[in-house]
Amino acid sequence: MAKPAKKSEETAAPPVSEILKEPAEIKYAHELEALRQNEKDEVPAAWKLSPRSVLAYIVGTKKPLTATINGAQVEVPITRKFFGDDTIVERSIVTLASERALLLVGDPGTGKSWLSEHLAAAISGCSTLTIQGTAGTTEEQIKYSWNIARIIAEGPKPENMIASPCMISMRKGAIFRFEEITRCVGDVQDALVSICSDKAIAVPELPGDAMVFARPGFNIIATANARDQGVNELSAALKRRFNYVHIPVVADQKTEVEIVRTRSKELLERYKIAARVEEPVLKLLATVFREMRNGVTAEGVNIQKPSTTLSTAEAIGVALDAAIHSRYFGSGVVGADSIGRNLVGSIVKEDLDDVKVLKEYLSLVAKKRGEGDAQWKAFYEAAISAIK
Amino acid sequence: MTPASPIAQLLEELDAGRIEARADAVLAEPLHWFPVRHHSPAVARHVAESIRARRPSIVFIEAPSDASELVPHIVDKKTKPPIALFSSYRDDDNALGLAGIESPAPDVPFKVSVYYPLLSYSPEYVAMREAAALGARVVFIDLPFRARVKSAAERGLQGTPGETGAPGEEGEPPQDDAHHVAEHHESQPGWEHLAVESSFYQKLADAAGYRSFDECWDALFDVSLRHADTESFRRDLAYFCAAVRATTRRERMELDGTLLREAHMWSTITRTLAETRTPPEKAMVVCGGFHIFLEKRMEPDRALPPGTVYNSLAPYSYLRTSSDTGYGAGNRAPLYYERLFQYSESDPANAPVAAMVDHVVSVLARGRRDGELLSPADAISVTQHARMLASLRNRSAPILDDVRDALISCCCKGSPQEEGRYLLGAMKAIETGTAVGRVTPALGKLPLLYDFYKALDELDLGEYVAQDRKAKVVLKLQQAEDERRSIFFHRLAQVGIPFARQLAVDKAGTLFTEEWEVSWAPKVEAALIEESIHGDSVESAALAKLDEELAQEAGSAGAVAERLLRAVNMDLPGMVLRLQASAGGAIDADSRLASLGKALTHLVVLERQAARRRLNKDLLGGLIQRCFGRACFAMPNAANVPPEEFDEVVAGVKSLAEVLIGEKGADLDRDLFIENARTTLADSKSQRLRGALSGVLTEIRAQSPEDLAADVARFARALPEEMVQCGDYLSGVMETSRTALMLGADGIVHAIDELLRVASWDQFLMLLPRTRGAFEAVHERARISLGDRVAVMYGLQDDDAAAVTKLETSVGAAVKLSELDARVGEIMKEWDFA
Repeated sequence: MAKPAKKSEETAAPPVSEILKEPAEIKYAHELEALRQNEKDEVPAAWKLSPRSVLAYIVGTKKPLTATINGAQVEVPITRKFFGDDTIVERSIVTLASERALLLVGDPGTGKSWLSEHLAAAISGCSTLTIQGTAGTTEEQIKYSWNIARIIAEGPKPENMIASPCMISMRKGAIFRFEEITRCVGDVQDALVSICSDKAIAVPELPGDAMVFARPGFNIIATANARDQGVNELSAALKRRFNYVHIPVVADQKTEVEIVRTRSKELLERYKIAARVEEPVLKLLATVFREMRNGVTAEGVNIQKPSTTLSTAEAIGVALDAAIHSRYFGSGVVGADSIGRNLVGSIVKEDLDDVKVLKEYLSLVAKKRGEGDAQWKAFYEAAISAIK
Repeated sequence: MTPASPIAQLLEELDAGRIEARADAVLAEPLHWFPVRHHSPAVARHVAESIRARRPSIVFIEAPSDASELVPHIVDKKTKPPIALFSSYRDDDNALGLAGIESPAPDVPFKVSVYYPLLSYSPEYVAMREAAALGARVVFIDLPFRARVKSAAERGLQGTPGETGAPGEEGEPPQDDAHHVAEHHESQPGWEHLAVESSFYQKLADAAGYRSFDECWDALFDVSLRHADTESFRRDLAYFCAAVRATTRRERMELDGTLLREAHMWSTITRTLAETRTPPEKAMVVCGGFHIFLEKRMEPDRALPPGTVYNSLAPYSYLRTSSDTGYGAGNRAPLYYERLFQYSESDPANAPVAAMVDHVVSVLARGRRDGELLSPADAISVTQHARMLASLRNRSAPILDDVRDALISCCCKGSPQEEGRYLLGAMKAIETGTAVGRVTPALGKLPLLYDFYKALDELDLGEYVAQDRKAKVVLKLQQAEDERRSIFFHRLAQVGIPFARQLAVDKAGTLFTEEWEVSWAPKVEAALIEESIHGDSVESAALAKLDEELAQEAGSAGAVAERLLRAVNMDLPGMVLRLQASAGGAIDADSRLASLGKALTHLVVLERQAARRRLNKDLLGGLIQRCFGRACFAMPNAANVPPEEFDEVVAGVKSLAEVLIGEKGADLDRDLFIENARTTLADSKSQRLRGALSGVLTEIRAQSPEDLAADVARFARALPEEMVQCGDYLSGVMETSRTALMLGADGIVHAIDELLRVASWDQFLMLLPRTRGAFEAVHERARISLGDRVAVMYGLQDDDAAAVTKLETSVGAAVKLSELDARVGEIMKEWDFA
């Protein structure tokens, strides 16, 4: 497992790293450590934290925890990582402590991979034992493959076997992550049936009844896009072995604003971009996404919905693009005009008819609001000009 | 490990010392106060234990004090919960001044009623049962319902605080529910709304993560293993309620009438103790937890408002009790809590898990019945998941919220609203249950019930009560007995008693025959109790309901005539005279063809029954003439109505024509009709209406079938955009014309043939759906006859035409053709062409 880099003893800030995107267990190492030091409950076998501490890590705590980090006693705030219904997180944690594997399912951009990464980081201290499912994923990538040159030279031996992330997880008793499982073809998915039920992988190439057994703590978190489910839906046998946890699109405006604020701030820090998105602009962005996604405005006016999924992740993307734009080509403060300029690409993707949908929204809603609100006026003018 | 009480933690942050002192003081009083929440199984169990241990001689219970005489019937062995204490009030003399404000008109009295549901595990019911077993007296202490209504009216709430509609019975579609809704139903008073608003609860919910008051209650009391004995339970509950009360504003309690009710409770308790010379330690009070801290002030008895009051017991059901039906003082999962109560009576420590297992197995069985793939392995996973969730949520045992979440996690393979909809349906059904209660026959019936059963007896309909299933009854109205049955059924339908339902008049029944579907179920009795507020007999209740209907809406000519017909069917002579008197005015004030057409149809039906029903035939004849004349003049106004009104207008034209052709036609002004029909025909832009008018004119011989055929033929020579509307025209013709269609069949067939010859392929495609739709509407015999004309026109003789139906073909091909035809028909229907 990667360890946190050294850091000044006076502060509990995350360690400096040269990695573009640090895994959660590195980025939030101090939070995980603080939770470990404050642990009061029983920790399941091979888990790093108790279920209640895993929950606290993901939904945050109201008060910071006192912990000794790098030899100094500091207050470590436990930040909220997943915004939305906490029962989703509770159900996910409980599933991972049970016999069944976890399938996080939902529309694109609802935070499935994000939650999966944090669950693995908190439970196993490692979120990188991952396979990204594609149409080309093979059974070998899920189970194991062989070093061909050494096989030819020495024949099948345990040391010539190349373990998959899944097999490594089993050996370590850790969480294995399978991203976009429904992108894989059915036969490949079914390789997981025996892993889920027997908690073991048979290696018939090796002499004797060679088996790799999973240690306690092993479990699987898979993710699936709700829109892809029909492509390669899980077989009935595999479905039975997974608990599905559906992650809906964020239900309320306040939470969506909070998510966009937190995540865009993190991303701006990651890319070292000295720009900030003001609160009214964030609210405007969240409002636009919410109204277009739901097909109805706050005033109750029905509008057309675009064909794309306007997830919260897309809104974060717009905020980030706008911030980069204003950092390099503007004042560094993200205005509603920057949002307007960068919005078009998120809404109009596959279907050019979505231009009409956006134009309707701008003309019927944004323009009218712009008559009494400078932010909406700037947004409208920039967006309409971007469409032209 | 037993989790620490969140209440204790939070009390530390409030003025805990003061709150605890107040609770301890009440708990230490010689009068034994037992705080309750409606339908709480844990409270019910502890109340029962407390009564058995203390053996009081009087048990005071929070229920309307004027209904105490019902207690022997509630605890009667033949009474089976769920039942409800029903209380209604009718302000006959408008003492509250709400007539015309809260009732449909100033001369319609204000009426209001309430149900106090009692389940097998309601603490109040259990307390009554235990008291009866001990021979203790039970006294109800709450404010009588009418006094609550008066107080609400005085506070400007106009007598309808917490107004809700009454839900229907098991398995009934929602539309039936409206049938039973009596006006101004109030909910049983509770204290949860005050608790939820209190800052104590809000802080507690925030700290503990409770998503609802039910979740909070279950976690702290109903499914909590923290309480070693009844006394520790009572104490913990009292602390909770004391904290709620301490953080509730006094104005709020004044506004919702809580203080007034409490004053009455205390007065009743002290007066009863004094009158019976019972020492307080020999008495016990079972009331809402919030009220055990009531202000102990005596108030002089307030005068009760005059009027008609009924207190009775009604059979109730779990469906009505379920809070999801929108009824007040409900319970979110009646059957689930019943299981919990039953298990807790024998083994409280294991009851939550036992109830959960039972519940989960039942849900999965129900899900499997609905086609879900659910196995016993799922049941094991669900119960394990629920226990782990409970542990994660700091609970000592799984509560309903944990079980619901576990079922969704383990059994729903996708979005709960989509893939999980059947599972959600199964969960709801099993949580709710289907139990229906029964009230002892020893309870004297309310006058309306008495009248109902008396009528059943007199009309020899008693066999249908015993059957408890649906039966079809055909009534021959010439027979006096059947006529009286018909009147009775019509009255019941008017009152909204779901005992008899008339089958569609156009499908079953003639002028002298009626078909009814009769079925008795417990809901019939519940509806009769509910409707007692409208009258003491079926006749008076029907009259009152019709009267209210009239007061709410003066009505168009069609509506007045329809009500007149109903009044006649119900044999309400006074109402008939009133409606006859008002019908003329309604006709004169109405200028809508559709409404006048309906009125005319009803009036003609009434006139036919005049002799049998002892109606004034001359008066009806005059009304028919007025209505007919008015409708003729209304026709031109309907020439260009919007398309959505076409059906009504065509129906109106048809009504007029039928009356004109019928035996009454000789008395009517035929020329007036023809003149206005022609004017309308000339003005209308709607081909369907034009077709209908043309068909009608042909039908009454005002134009020849050849003229009609010539009209159709004109489409062949019209501009293309008009030509394609020929289908609409034909639709209109075929809706209003039967005889004329057959008389002019050759001409029409030739005209259509000509039209199809000259139409281009695109025009033909546009013509086809409507034209086919028009023929679909014609009676099968006429359609076959028209088909024969086509065959003959194309040179086939009768014999040859018959040969067409004997084409050599295989059985398989014939089946295929038949399938294709059926499919095409379905598609046409989907496209709204048929």
